Amino acid sequence: MSDTVNDTIPATGLLERRGAMRQLDGQITGCTISRDSQQVAFATGEGDIMVAERADWGQSDAWTVTTVHDGAILAIAPDAGPTGFLTGGDDNALRRIAADGSVSDLVKGRRWIEHITTWTNGKGGVIAFASGRQVELRDADGHTTLKVLEHPSTVSGIVFDAKGKRIAASHYNGASMWFVQAKVDTVRPLEWKGSHIGIAIHPAGEALVTSMQESELHGWRLSDGHNMRMSGYPSKVQSMAFTRNGKWLVTSGADTIVMWPFFGGGPMGKPPAEAGGLPGVMCTRVACHPVHDIVAAGFADGSVLMADTGAQRILPVCIGGSGAVTALEFSPDGCCLAFGSEDGRACVVDLSAK
Amino acid sequence: MSDTVQASPDAAAQNTLVPVTVLTGFLGAGKTTLLNHILTAQHGRKYAVVVNEFGELGVDNDLVVDADEEVFEMNNGCICCTVRGDLIRILGNLMKRRAKFDGIIVETTGLADPAPVAQTFFVDEDVRGKTRLDAVVTVVDAYNVIQTLDESPEAVNQIAFADVIILNKTDLVDEVALATIESRIRSINAVARIHRAQRGDVPLSDVLDQGGFDLQRALEHAPHFLEDTSHSHEADVTSLSYEVEEPLDAARFQAWIGAVLQEQGADILRAKGILNYAGEDQRFAFQAVHMMADGGFIGPWKDGEPRVSRLVFIGRNLNRPQLRRGFESCRAK
Repeated sequence: MSDTVNDTIPATGLLERRGAMRQLDGQITGCTISRDSQQVAFATGEGDIMVAERADWGQSDAWTVTTVHDGAILAIAPDAGPTGFLTGGDDNALRRIAADGSVSDLVKGRRWIEHITTWTNGKGGVIAFASGRQVELRDADGHTTLKVLEHPSTVSGIVFDAKGKRIAASHYNGASMWFVQAKVDTVRPLEWKGSHIGIAIHPAGEALVTSMQESELHGWRLSDGHNMRMSGYPSKVQSMAFTRNGKWLVTSGADTIVMWPFFGGGPMGKPPAEAGGLPGVMCTRVACHPVHDIVAAGFADGSVLMADTGAQRILPVCIGGSGAVTALEFSPDGCCLAFGSEDGRACVVDLSAK
Repeated sequence: MSDTVQASPDAAAQNTLVPVTVLTGFLGAGKTTLLNHILTAQHGRKYAVVVNEFGELGVDNDLVVDADEEVFEMNNGCICCTVRGDLIRILGNLMKRRAKFDGIIVETTGLADPAPVAQTFFVDEDVRGKTRLDAVVTVVDAYNVIQTLDESPEAVNQIAFADVIILNKTDLVDEVALATIESRIRSINAVARIHRAQRGDVPLSDVLDQGGFDLQRALEHAPHFLEDTSHSHEADVTSLSYEVEEPLDAARFQAWIGAVLQEQGADILRAKGILNYAGEDQRFAFQAVHMMADGGFIGPWKDGEPRVSRLVFIGRNLNRPQLRRGFESCRAK
């Protein structure tokens, strides 16, 4: 794969031509874009969040910084409604940041809030967050608790299926799947020995995949519980995402963008495809475009690339930059790519037609 | 062996890593008192503290994290070991605000085995990339320790594992008893430094920055203890020390130690060595926690330092003559 990226790559990328960057104090721990694609938010290890309005995507001096947590922000997600964000921190708080920048408390607990995910169908919505071994589901208002789900060990990741009917959590020795609306909570245990450190679900609900401490992925075909194993990584997979149509599972963990085929009988017995990368530099974050067959990948040296999953074309967003990419997301409308790094760089690239 | 011995980060990288001190000791030994002493002392440094669920910390510190001591068994090819997965997660999250503290202290529950904590620093690439295990510090209650050691294998493990032992509550026993206690501790762990204390009042220089897992400082403080040859096979935990004067064949030693750790790793709590490889001007340092090992060259021999290979094992069920023969068979011929 090293032949797809070589010395002919221009030193400048999309970031220089269509983006803006701002340096913050502290590591960027996450970024996300509101459901209406109007605001980009970056979260930091210092407890700050920085919001970039759509009109200001190209002008980083207009982005506003607010201190939201007393400590590091460990999780950020778009709110269940069309606007606003939710953040969780190591101050044990879950907070809501409205579109106008106002901050309100949703939870002040006794454990770090490490994972947040939300689901909406445009009418109703559900908020889920993980704290220790518990996953709590709340109504979109953020105040009404729907249920609290207990797990055998600390939850390392949570994900809703595309229809918001089920939620799955990864933990030691596998994952647990629950029905969101069930009157009586009965877990569907998906068991596999070891420490599972992240989770993703196929957009059509065909498979659930977890990342494991032993630098491999484990999967379960949800129709029959059949086990899948995807291995060969030189390091732990910290980031994974299914492409919009569910054809590929894109992951970090190697010096190329690794893509497992979820078609034609795969991923069982199929080698992964590689969508390009940087020789000797680990991929740390991946994101899939919501509309086109494009993936984005961030690397340990701060580089960000976009790759076309069909045509195997590579488009550099930025090359180098220093600190590892720790956050990377596309906006829901696909018009924006946001990313941030361990050394506090926050970047927004406007992908919309001009 | 090649898959168990990993190259250590070089000295420059080591300095940027956040030191982690592991504090163990039985319930009532005085861990919390020592912790409070560390946190309130005027040393101008700030520590993040990972405590277990039942910990009661009297000081106000916004960098205290509750942990559940979630241990899991890792399957890494032929190596099996237990790891604190919660610690991987907590250290990773703490490092997101790296600038806020100078070091991390991990307190374990009274009955905890220190091995999973130590092994976490061997197996996880992210933990290794940002932090370094400085030392295992075990607090011992002088008044109760003999009885505790007789009754509890966990207490024996905590002593065996320690780089530093704080012999606390020395005001409750007389000098004769203290000598007996220290000799009992030495019979288990001949390498650890022992410091006497009352109410945890030890100088912090005896607790922090000990370099217990730093290859550069391997066996730095090891006294030349006399080998007790009266038993050839010890069921109890004990320290075995070996010396070989002739240079060793590097490949032969690697193969031998790899096999020893593979076969007896469950019984070997810790191992450390400084080795004189034939044809090498540099000292080779080696250390292991159960089956996990690492090693590397640590610079030339010092002036006047005898060029001998020294190896220490702390463990149970170890066959003294067999290990000696094995070590001696690594001599370059």
